Amino acid sequence: MRQMAYRPQFFMMIVGKIVRIGLLFFFFQAVFLKVDRIGHWTYYEVLLLFATFHIVDYLMSVTFHRNLAFHLPQLIQTGELDTRMIMPLNLLFLLSFEMIDFIDLLSFLPSLGFLAYVLCRLQFAFSWIHALAYVLLLVNALLFLFGIVLIIATISFWTTQSFGLARIFDNLLKIGRYPLDIFEGVLRTVFVYFLPLVLIAQIPSQVLLATLSLKSMLYAFSITGVFLFVAISFWKMGLKNYLSAST
Amino acid sequence: MLPNRNLKATPAHVDGMSITPIVKFWCVFKLVWIERMVYRLNFFLEILSGIISSLIVVFLWLAIYRSAGSGLIGGYSVKEMVTYLLGAGLINTFILTTAENPETSQSIQDGTLSTMLIKPISPYGIWFMRDLGSKAFLFLLGLLGYMCVFFFFRDYVLPPSSPGYFLLFLLSMILAAILQFLLFEVLSLLAFWLENTFGIRFTMRVIMEVVGGAIIPVSFFPEILQDIFMLLPFPYLIYLPMRIYLGKISIGQVPLELLTAGVWIMGLVILNVMTWKKGIRHYVAMGD
Repeated sequence: MRQMAYRPQFFMMIVGKIVRIGLLFFFFQAVFLKVDRIGHWTYYEVLLLFATFHIVDYLMSVTFHRNLAFHLPQLIQTGELDTRMIMPLNLLFLLSFEMIDFIDLLSFLPSLGFLAYVLCRLQFAFSWIHALAYVLLLVNALLFLFGIVLIIATISFWTTQSFGLARIFDNLLKIGRYPLDIFEGVLRTVFVYFLPLVLIAQIPSQVLLATLSLKSMLYAFSITGVFLFVAISFWKMGLKNYLSAST
Repeated sequence: MLPNRNLKATPAHVDGMSITPIVKFWCVFKLVWIERMVYRLNFFLEILSGIISSLIVVFLWLAIYRSAGSGLIGGYSVKEMVTYLLGAGLINTFILTTAENPETSQSIQDGTLSTMLIKPISPYGIWFMRDLGSKAFLFLLGLLGYMCVFFFFRDYVLPPSSPGYFLLFLLSMILAAILQFLLFEVLSLLAFWLENTFGIRFTMRVIMEVVGGAIIPVSFFPEILQDIFMLLPFPYLIYLPMRIYLGKISIGQVPLELLTAGVWIMGLVILNVMTWKKGIRHYVAMGD
């Protein structure tokens, strides 16, 4: 029932996101009217990257993103987290997936349709193994993002407000929709190792296009593991710091 | 300014001195600056994230120019493009997207509008001045932050094409700031009927960014889309000011374009007045 209360607002956000996908599609079309590739990425390859990014971004925003990034800091601030702590469920699980509106999943269909369109147009050797790896890497991307979002949300145990940081993160995240190997020097190192945004769309797309080495794939899984481990340890530390204000 | 149905704008008296509307609005303007300084950290992060996003877009375009091999893409040289993107980023982040008039919506929803209605200043005037104040504040500080970026890309950033164009550019930016306020304000006023206007404003912002030319000059789009986009008010927000700055529009054509922006402003003022008048009758002062 709680989801119902938020529906109209959230539904419009989804509409906004779909409109953005449409408009950014025009953006890439506009760019490719003038050039035939970005780095070594052709038009449809860039679109695949773009569709992949939006699928991950979408799945994140209908599941844990708003719960952790917006709802959790509020619960901490008001002390309402108490009532969640006494529930007979894993706390982190409950907090991450408290509000999921399955109606939102309907608006997921256009993104999938877009991906299907791109895949039909792309000329590449399809294989089931690569498709399976693609799906696994999408899950991997979501877990990686979960780790980062959790770290940012956990900061609010100390600051009671991590809105500014969440905003920076949202902005940085958008970089993931571009092919990151076109960057050179420091930026490239940052996006591969320190803030590995390549995990979100580039690595899954590359595996589908069969241009990814097994080593990079293993790297993707292990770095997610590291991020998750750090995030969960940090979360436990934050929880010990919970002051249960106003109760 | 919109008429306030219940109150005539009578000058208030403090210590025997009458306070003119200009002084009142100036106070509101100043208050926003003071408020903004309270949340310095968030504010600093906001500037930082704006700068990061435009840096990325510039790097993306540098890569596109590198792989294109030719010096000119869509009539823009690499320097013009970098200047366009940085200018557009500056306008977009600090004038257009930081103030989306959430206050109007919020005060209608939680009923704080009631207390505003009994103040000797029109709520609409307060919102307008707060919006302008916050835009001016963010823009000036954003500009300071951007100085580093301009320095970093000093080999690419072009000066305005002439002093005359620069003045027209400033004028077009002021018109853009007012136009943006009116566009979002009318959506915020929908809070009289809807429980939340956040989603609508978000959608509008997305459209504004793309159609307004924040990520790419409008002339890059296929012709049919360009024709549609130019019929909308959005290109006057970013595309027009940046074209004036770069001198990519003949000086004789500028007044006509600015006039069109003015017509949009007038039209939106009328729409705002109508929405406000209808809405205030519908207002139930929830939560009070």
